[in-house]
Amino acid sequence: MQQVIGVLFNGLSLSSILLLTAVGLAITFGLMKVINMAHGEFIMMGAYTTFVVQQLFLSFAPGAFDLSYLVALVAAFAFTFLFGCVLEKLVISRLYGRVVDSLLATAGISIILQQAARSIFGERGVNVTAPSWLSGGISLGGVTFSYNRLFIIMLAVLSLVLVVLIMRKTKFGLQMRAVMQNRDMARCMGINSRRIDMLTFGIGSGLAGLAGCSVALLGSVDSTVGQLYIVDSFMAVVLGGVGNLVGTVFGSSIIGFSSIGIETGLSSADIAKCLVLLIIIVFLQFKPQGLFAGRTRQLDE
Amino acid sequence: MPIRKVSSKATSKVTGTAAAAAAAADATTGATTGKKSLLQRLAKSAGSPVVFAIIVIGLGVLPLLYSSGAIDSTAMIIFSGKCIALAILAIGIDLIWGYTGMLSLGQGLFFALGGYCMAMHLKMVATGGNITEFMHTGGLSELPIIWRPFLTFPATLVLIIVVPAVVGGLVGFFIFRNRVKGVFFSIISQALTWAAFSLFMATSPWTNGNTGITEIKSVFGSIRGDANLDHLYMLFYVSLGVLVLVFILATLLTRTKFGKLLIAIRDGENRTYFSGYSVSRYKNTIYVISAVLAGIGGALFVNFNGSISPSVMTISYSIMMVVWVAIGGRGTIIGAVIGTLLINFGEYTIASGSMIQAWQFIVGGIFVVVILFFKGGIVGIFTSQLPAAWRWLQARLGGRGQGKGADQGAGGQLAASQAGSSADAEVG
Amino acid sequence: MKKSRQMFARIAALMLSLTLAFSLVACGGGSSSTGGGTSTGGGTAGGDEGDTVVVGILHSKTGAMAISEQAVIDAEILAIEEINASGGVLGKQIEYIEEDGASDPATFATKAEKLVSQDKVVTVFGCWTSSSRKAVKSVFEDYESLLWYPVQYEGMEQSPNIIYTGAAPNQQIVPAVEYLLDNGYTKFFLIGSDYVFPRTANMIITAQVKAAGAEIVGEEYAAMDQTDFASIITKIEAAKPDIIVNTLNGTGNVSFFKQMAEKNYTAAEYPTMSFSIAEEEVATIGPDILKDHMVSWNYYQTTDTPENEDFVAAYKARWGANRVTSDPAEAAYDGVYLWKAAVEKAGSFEVAAVLEVIRTGEISFQAPEGLVTIDGATQHLSKPVRIGVIGADGLIEEVYATPEPVAPDPYLKGYQWAVDANIQPLE
Repeated sequence: MQQVIGVLFNGLSLSSILLLTAVGLAITFGLMKVINMAHGEFIMMGAYTTFVVQQLFLSFAPGAFDLSYLVALVAAFAFTFLFGCVLEKLVISRLYGRVVDSLLATAGISIILQQAARSIFGERGVNVTAPSWLSGGISLGGVTFSYNRLFIIMLAVLSLVLVVLIMRKTKFGLQMRAVMQNRDMARCMGINSRRIDMLTFGIGSGLAGLAGCSVALLGSVDSTVGQLYIVDSFMAVVLGGVGNLVGTVFGSSIIGFSSIGIETGLSSADIAKCLVLLIIIVFLQFKPQGLFAGRTRQLDE
Repeated sequence: MPIRKVSSKATSKVTGTAAAAAAAADATTGATTGKKSLLQRLAKSAGSPVVFAIIVIGLGVLPLLYSSGAIDSTAMIIFSGKCIALAILAIGIDLIWGYTGMLSLGQGLFFALGGYCMAMHLKMVATGGNITEFMHTGGLSELPIIWRPFLTFPATLVLIIVVPAVVGGLVGFFIFRNRVKGVFFSIISQALTWAAFSLFMATSPWTNGNTGITEIKSVFGSIRGDANLDHLYMLFYVSLGVLVLVFILATLLTRTKFGKLLIAIRDGENRTYFSGYSVSRYKNTIYVISAVLAGIGGALFVNFNGSISPSVMTISYSIMMVVWVAIGGRGTIIGAVIGTLLINFGEYTIASGSMIQAWQFIVGGIFVVVILFFKGGIVGIFTSQLPAAWRWLQARLGGRGQGKGADQGAGGQLAASQAGSSADAEVG
Repeated sequence: MKKSRQMFARIAALMLSLTLAFSLVACGGGSSSTGGGTSTGGGTAGGDEGDTVVVGILHSKTGAMAISEQAVIDAEILAIEEINASGGVLGKQIEYIEEDGASDPATFATKAEKLVSQDKVVTVFGCWTSSSRKAVKSVFEDYESLLWYPVQYEGMEQSPNIIYTGAAPNQQIVPAVEYLLDNGYTKFFLIGSDYVFPRTANMIITAQVKAAGAEIVGEEYAAMDQTDFASIITKIEAAKPDIIVNTLNGTGNVSFFKQMAEKNYTAAEYPTMSFSIAEEEVATIGPDILKDHMVSWNYYQTTDTPENEDFVAAYKARWGANRVTSDPAEAAYDGVYLWKAAVEKAGSFEVAAVLEVIRTGEISFQAPEGLVTIDGATQHLSKPVRIGVIGADGLIEEVYATPEPVAPDPYLKGYQWAVDANIQPLE
C-alpha cells in the first residue's frame, strides 16, 4: 500500500512537471501551430532568471532570501513573456502557416540561445538553492510528500486554471480563440490579430519560464537544461491531441505515470524510456491525431 | 504571370506543411517557361548537373592535391569522405521531405543502423571473429546471435541495405496505413529514434552502450598514415562513386512518374488519393528509399570515422541533418549536397579556437535567416531570387516603372506563393 | 514593386551577412594560423619549427559535457601560460589550438584527426568521457601521436599513445570501497548513469564488496539525461542501504542530490560515496545539500602542499576568485607539466622520443596533489589517494590518505578478488 501511494505520488509529481513544461507548448504548438524548438531554451531562461534573482537577493537583501523564489517566479514569467513577444515579432510572425519551417527556424534560435547562456553565465552550471519553506515534507504513513513536489503540483494546476480562465472568461481569451480558429474572419471583425498572436506566444513562453523556475529546484541549471525537457513536452502535447488543453493534461499524465510505473519495475531507466516511447508510438497509430483531437471536416490540415 | 499556376492550386489547402514550402521553390523553377531569364533556364536544364560535376571534381582532386604536395595532410580527405557519406544521407532526406513533404526527424536512426551494421562487421574483422572486450565485460562468453551475420562481408553488405529497409518498411507500413501525417509523422519518427537511442544505451553488452563500436579500420584496412594511402584513396573514390550513383539515380527518380507522384502527394495528398493512387504505398516506398540511403551513408561514414556511437541518434543531430537540406535548397537534389558540404566544411574550418563560440551564433543565425527569407535555400537564391533581383534592377535602369518582378507581389494572400516571399504576404 | 524591393533588400541582407561571415572566417583563419602557421612549412617534423611549438586542446565547449570540461580547459591553458612565462619548453613558447568536441564522439574523432594530421600539433590534451577517448584512441595510435587524458576512468585500457593522468580504478574506487568496508558499512546501494564508467565501476565494486562479505542491496542506472529521480529514491528508501555508492555523471548528480534534499535526506540518513563529484560540482549542487557526504579523489583544493597553494592562487588569479580547483582540473594541469618534463628529458618534441623517456618510468612532477610519476609500463600515474568529506563551505576536507603514492593497476591484476571475479580483460 505504502509503495503504491509512493508510486502514485511520484507519478503525479512527474506528470505535473511535464504538464508545467508542456502547457506553454500546448498554447504555442496546439493553438498557434508553431513548433517552437526553442521552448526548452525558454525553460532554461526561466531557470537562469531564478539564479539571477537569487544572486541579487544574496547581494542586496540576504535577510529576505526566502522571498527570492517568489520574486523569481514573477520575474521568470515576465522575462520570458517579454522575450517571447519580441521573438514572435521578429521571427515567429513570419512563420505562421509554415509549421515545419517554424520547427527549423526555432531550432536555430535554440542554438543561439544556448550559446548566449554559455557566453553570459559560463559553460559550467550554476547553483539555484531551494528556499527553506520548500525543503522537507510531510510524512504520512511512511511516505514523504515533499513540499517542493506539492508546490510544483500546485503550480501546474494553477497555471492550467489560469490559462483556462484567460481563454474562457476574458475578452482577450475570446479574441485569442477567434484568431486561432479563423484568422481572416477574426480580422474582419476588427480584432488586431497581430497583437493577439504576439501576446498568445508571449503567454506560452512565459509559462515555459515558470516551468524553468520549478525545474531549477529539481536539477542542473546550465545551457542544455531545456533539451532535457523539450521532447517529453512535445510528446505530451501530441499524445493529448494538438489544440486541446485537457488533452495535454492527459498526455502528461500518461507519460508521467507510465515512466514512473515502468521504472519502478526495472533497474534500467533507458529501457523504461524506450518502452514509454514505444507505447506513445503505438498509441498514436490508433489515435493519429492524439487523444482529444478536435473534430474537423477539413481534409488537409 | 503563370508563375503561381501550380502552387496556388496545390497549396490552397496544405498551407503550413512542408509541401507549401517546397512547392514554392519548385513552382518558381519549374512551372514557367517563356519569360524566364537565360540564367534561370540554364539553371533549370543544366545547372544542377554542372554544379554537381564541379563538386565531384573538386572533391575528386583532393587525393591528387595531397600526392602532389599541394596539401600536406590527409585529414581533409578523410573529412571529405565523412561529408560524402552525410551528403548521401541528405539526398535521402531531400527525397522524403523536399519532394514528398514528409519531415522525418528520425533519419539518424537509419544512419545508425547502417553504421552499426558496418561497424559490427569491421569489429569482427578486428577481433578475428572472437567476442569483443565489451561483450566480455558485459558478461557474455560467446558471440551473440545478432553479431553472427556480420562475420562475412557479403552478408554485411546485404544487411546494410536490408536492415534499414526492413525497419523503415515496417514502421512506414503502420504509420502510413493509419494515415499519420504532417507533424505527427515528424514526432513519431523522433520518438522512434529516441527509443532506439535508449535501447542501444541499455543493451551495452551487445552494443557497447554510449561508447558504441570503436577501434575499427575501414573495409580496405587502415586509412591513416602514408603507408595506407592506397586504402584511403580506394575508400574515398568508392564513396565518391556511390555519391555520384545516388545523385544520378535520385535525379532520375524524381523525373519518373513515381517522382511526379511524390510531388503530387506533397502538394495535395487527398487529391492524389482521389485520383486513385495508393498514397500510403508511395509514401512507404520513398520512406524505405530514404532509410536505405541513410543506411548507406552511415556505413560509409563508419569507414572514415573509425567508430560509431548512439550520439548519431540524438534528436538535435537529426534536426541538423534536415537543416543541411533546408539551407542547400529543399526539393532539389543538388541542394541537399550543397547544404551538407557547406555547413560541415564551415564547421570544420571555422569552428576552432576563439571562433568556437561565434560559430554557434553564425550557424544558428544562418538557420533562422535562410528559413525566414530564403525558403529555396542556396539553390533558390540562384534560381529565383537573384534572377528576380536582376529583373528588378533591369526594370529600374530601363525606366519601366512596372517591372516584371512587381506583379509577382499581387494577390499574395496565399502562403508559400513564391519562394521566400510568403512570409511577407502576411506581414505586408 | 514592393515585392521585388523586398527581395532586393533580402539579397542585400544576404550579401551583408555573407561578407560578415567571411570576414569572421578570415579572422578565425588568421588566429588559428598563428598557431598552425609554423607547421605548414616543413610538414614532416611537426609543429615545432621556429620559436614556438603547437599543442592541441580538445574538449567539449558545447553540448551536455561543456559544464564539466570547461574547468579542465582552464587548467590546461593556465599551465601553458605558466610554462610560457617561465621560458617555455626547450626554449620554445607553447601555442595551443583549441577544438570543440561538441560532446559527440564522432566530432571528437574528426577534430582529433584535424589536430594531429592537419595542424600537426606535437601533442594533444583532451577528452573527458570514456566514449570520446575510445573514439579518438585509434586516431592517436594510427598517427603515432600522443594524447594526455586528464580524468579518472574505469580502467581496463592501456593505449601506447595515451597518457592517463587521472586515477585508475585502483587509485579511486577500490581504496574508497576499502575505506567504507573498514568503517563498518555493510549494505551498499549502487547508483550510476547508464554508460561504461558506472557499469564497469559497479562490476568492480560488486566483486570487492562480495569478497569482503558485505552486501549489495540495490543497483540502479539512470539515463544520461534523466531529470526525475523519484522512483530511484523510492527504491533506495525501500532497500535501506547504509551507504550509497554514486557513479552518476554530469547533470544526473545535480538532480539526484537536489531531489534527495527535497525530502530532507542528509548524509546522516543516507551517506553517499561519490566518484564524480569534485569542488566544481559541489558549487553547482550547493554545499548545504552535499555537506558531510563522502568523495574519493587524488586531490582537493584543500590539499596541503606548497605546490597546491601556488596552483590554487594562480588558478583563481587567472580565472576568477570565485572559481574552485578540482581533481580533473589538477590532473589536466599535471598533464601539461609532465609533457614538459618528458620533452625536456628527451630533448625533442618527437612523439617517439617522448614516449621512450616516458617508458623509462622516470618522468615525474611535484604536483599540487604531491609527487606524481608516470608508470612506464601502464602510462598511468602513480598518485596518492584521498578520501574526503564535503564541508559546509563547499570545500572538501581530507579524512584519509594513503601514506605513499599508489601505483596504477588499470586491469586490477594485483587484487585477488578481482582476478577471482574474472574482471580481467580478454587475452
